[in-house]
Amino acid sequence: MTTRYTLHPELRLTRLGDEGVALHLGSRRYFTVSETGVDILEALKTPSTLADIVARLTSSYDVTPELAEKSARDFLDNGRRHGLLHVEDAP
Amino acid sequence: MNDYPLRVPDASEVTCDDPGVRQWVADWLASWRIAPPGRLSLRISVSDVAVGEADEREPFRQPLVEIRSGPPHNDLRIRWLAGNAIAVLDPKEPRADIIIAPAALADRERLQQTFLVAVVVFLLRRAGWHHVHGAIARDRAGREWLLAGDAKAGKSTTAALLATHGWSVGTDDLTFLAAADDAVDAHAPHIPIALREGGAALLAARGGAPARGGRKQAFFPEELGGSFASRARPTILMFPRVEGAVTRIEPLTPGAALAELVKWSAWVALEPEFAQLHLDLLAALARQARAFRLSLGPDLFEGKDLLMSLVP
Repeated sequence: MTTRYTLHPELRLTRLGDEGVALHLGSRRYFTVSETGVDILEALKTPSTLADIVARLTSSYDVTPELAEKSARDFLDNGRRHGLLHVEDAP
Repeated sequence: MNDYPLRVPDASEVTCDDPGVRQWVADWLASWRIAPPGRLSLRISVSDVAVGEADEREPFRQPLVEIRSGPPHNDLRIRWLAGNAIAVLDPKEPRADIIIAPAALADRERLQQTFLVAVVVFLLRRAGWHHVHGAIARDRAGREWLLAGDAKAGKSTTAALLATHGWSVGTDDLTFLAAADDAVDAHAPHIPIALREGGAALLAARGGAPARGGRKQAFFPEELGGSFASRARPTILMFPRVEGAVTRIEPLTPGAALAELVKWSAWVALEPEFAQLHLDLLAALARQARAFRLSLGPDLFEGKDLLMSLVP
């Protein structure tokens, strides 16, 4: 089973220096997001797996795969909880 | 930047089957002295026709109005809750079809200040101007400010106070952001600053006109010793709140300033086709200006140059 994550279609994102704001048009809530978070959300404009995100983080930042996976997993769990992401499980 | 001249080209085209209502709305809009890039079209009908057509879309509520947007109609509808009036706005163009029941015209002040203001806010959005709850100001050194916050943040009293200190200020709550060259400009309609009784007393302000059903007193900055600022390119952002004994500022990061601007742009999340533009404008403004949280203490009224001295 592979889980793919995609940005929720009602999410709008803007970057400002090393942080950003994500605005959910459905819930009308907004979220301040770190630089890494903005990178992940921008990557999720196309469907991505956890492994895709980890690969992106390790190529962009000086970080171990273990730490990148933990950060990505935490961010995706939070994003899922707040309705920022679409999650699809495929066989 | 320069203010608009006192007379600007008519920014709107108002049609109505009732000539008195047409003139009333046209005069009111002309009094705003705004020059948006597109011409606003308001087609008004005064009719007893029921305006409560079923609309299953989740409403966004503001004082005395409900706003619905998105599918399946894909238009934007604004319904007045104090009487029968409804506006249907074209999804993209600054055009509104408005039906007002004759009985609703009995309360023209509230109709104007809640329903028609909301209609114009969304028409201006279609012309490229995006709303933020804020007041623009130009200090005596020529620096341009935006004070953003909600109705209880102290914006109105501060804007009025700055006018008494010889600043140029816009109105207290309605500001529109627009992209200009590589910058963000803020535009203000020529609407008086509405003060509660306590605010007017603190300023020892005399004159003005009753507003909001007599609950407030409204002053143009010119009546307070200042001048009217119709537009600005803010380089200083302030997010005021009334707290503490001493007026002070605390610097904010651009990201924190952006979050504040989003908070005070209640309508940013409506209409997906405009939301990204609106959000990007707020980010550009947060990039363009230095931002501060402003705690307003009673000493604000003692020193004429206090705010100017706080921001070097």
